[in-house]
Amino acid sequence: MTNAFVATRAHPALRALLRNGWVLGVWLLLGALLLWYSTLIPAFGAFQITSITKNSLPLVYLAIGQAIIVIAGGIDLSLGALLLLSNVIAARFMEGQPIGVVAAIGVALVAGIALLNAFTGYIINLSGVPDIVVTLATSYIWSGLALWILPSPGGGTAPEMRWLFTGSPSGIGGSYWPPLLMMLIPGILVALWARTSRLGLTLYAAGSNRTAAQLAGLNVRRSKIVAYAIGGAMAALAGLAMVAITGTGDPRFAVGAGATLNSVAAVVLGGIALTGGVGNVFGVVATGVTLIMLNPILIAMGVNSNNAQVIQGVLIAGVMMVGGLSAVLRERQS
Amino acid sequence: MSGETRIMTGRARRAGKAQTWLAQNPLIALIFVFIALFLVTGAVQPNFLSINGVRNTLLQAAPLGILAAAQTVLMLTGGIDLSVTMIATGAAYVAANQSPNGAGVAILAGVLVGLLIGSINGVGVAVFRVNPLIMTLAMSGILLGLFTAWTQTVLAGSTQVAPFIKLLGGGAWLGSVPYSVLVWGGVALAVIWLLRRSGWGRLIYAIGDNDTAVRLAGVRVWQVRLSAYVLSGVLAAIAGILLGGRTGAVDLQLAGAFLLPSVAAAVIGGTSIFGGVGGYTGTILGALILSVLNSLLTFLNVGQAIQQMVYGAIVLALAWGYASLTRRS
Repeated sequence: MTNAFVATRAHPALRALLRNGWVLGVWLLLGALLLWYSTLIPAFGAFQITSITKNSLPLVYLAIGQAIIVIAGGIDLSLGALLLLSNVIAARFMEGQPIGVVAAIGVALVAGIALLNAFTGYIINLSGVPDIVVTLATSYIWSGLALWILPSPGGGTAPEMRWLFTGSPSGIGGSYWPPLLMMLIPGILVALWARTSRLGLTLYAAGSNRTAAQLAGLNVRRSKIVAYAIGGAMAALAGLAMVAITGTGDPRFAVGAGATLNSVAAVVLGGIALTGGVGNVFGVVATGVTLIMLNPILIAMGVNSNNAQVIQGVLIAGVMMVGGLSAVLRERQS
Repeated sequence: MSGETRIMTGRARRAGKAQTWLAQNPLIALIFVFIALFLVTGAVQPNFLSINGVRNTLLQAAPLGILAAAQTVLMLTGGIDLSVTMIATGAAYVAANQSPNGAGVAILAGVLVGLLIGSINGVGVAVFRVNPLIMTLAMSGILLGLFTAWTQTVLAGSTQVAPFIKLLGGGAWLGSVPYSVLVWGGVALAVIWLLRRSGWGRLIYAIGDNDTAVRLAGVRVWQVRLSAYVLSGVLAAIAGILLGGRTGAVDLQLAGAFLLPSVAAAVIGGTSIFGGVGGYTGTILGALILSVLNSLLTFLNVGQAIQQMVYGAIVLALAWGYASLTRRS
């Protein structure tokens, strides 16, 4: 209660700061981690920045998509499977093609998978089955389709495509500007769109109280379809980034399932409530990078990779416990 | 609108009545689905329509059914456990490690693993109010890391379970009724009794429906929630030990494939993922349906890709059918 009181009296800039405190916090955390990482390894430079940026691209895209869907009051367990689908279609059909065809396939994939996931949103509206169940089922369908298109890892992509997502035509080293821009531009665009456009605000309204939004005359059903379409487009981008980074397609079910679960973790750590209607998309960009960066940091500290996974899990649970405990304490006070 | 109702024929009215009846007894619809799938599978593979086919279905469904029991109890409270499969794998590993000390010790040690991990999950969710999806997801990652490391150190070489556990997981009583099905039957009776007849069960439903109201009524909600996660951990451990016994050897991928089906079985069986609605009888049917579906897809021999697509489509169709059936009433 005291918080709200301060916020109404405070300077507008301070008010914005308070409202986006969590987002600021996760970006500061990322900055601190980067700084720490730079002291851990002997030569920290462009190579590390490029590698961290490009390796976190798939998760960041997926987390942005998941964030929009969660804000709109849903959850999409099929994003990882859509990533697989985009990844294998790109790997299978882009290999050895001229740049024009590669670009056309890329655009078609983003648009097509957006449409595909919009259809999933439509099915959720139509059937009245909870989001988590519908997308659980479609995750099987899409990963099956991906396996059918590319039965075993293989395929490839064009050097230009690899440059766009990794900063180098061969996927090794290179400049950090292309991947950094490819990460920040969609993040900023989607975050601004959600916060300022009419449709974006409808997502927040529908996610926070569906009935109230409906009674206020907002088209709640359309907002869900739009959210799922954006989620699909981001998953397609994630698949393209994946093929650019690895240079091949990989249809394994576990890759998709792992990516989905990581995207949910990034969203929650980014301060977006799974109950919907709360949070800022821009925060998940930082948490997505943080989740990917923890591994090289822990390995640089001399922790083996199994223990690194344990520590990552403990950190996620720990951060959420601190958040939960502080909420409980606030409740007690008021 | 009123004209339409007036010209409704007797047949249509009877159909409407049948639909209402099904909507009030959705389990009957699930039984029909199960029988239909069973017959279709029998048409594909005539050998399936035998005592042997029934036995195989039950044998396959037992570990899934027990994992889905954990999922059902938690979903009734509005929670979920994404770490059940890693708990199951971990319990099977510890049971294999303790097998030289006798089957009793091995099973006890395995169950203790489930108890311990379930308690940690429960403390995270109930006391620290971490979202269950995130808590159990993080736990699953922690367990994967721990057990991958331990299989090279403290648990190294323990991949074989005791003969008694093998008998329990894969053997049959009097050569006909699989022991794992008997264990599942026991678990099912216990879970159904707990949910329907005990005060604890009523609280589980009540918390899923409205936990604020339950708290204001003077119930220590966190204790009930914590106990649900402990139960989930123990059930997952039992399922893991049975699975380890069935396959004989234990590895890190032992139970991994059961995670999504365990949620799907509960959902198909009519348990709401938002809590408060559902029960274990539906989940049993859900587990049986998914097992028969698995057999059918294996017999059809269409390859893993088509299998996954058909599996997803049928799960979606069943959930959709169930939702539209029950919404009408």
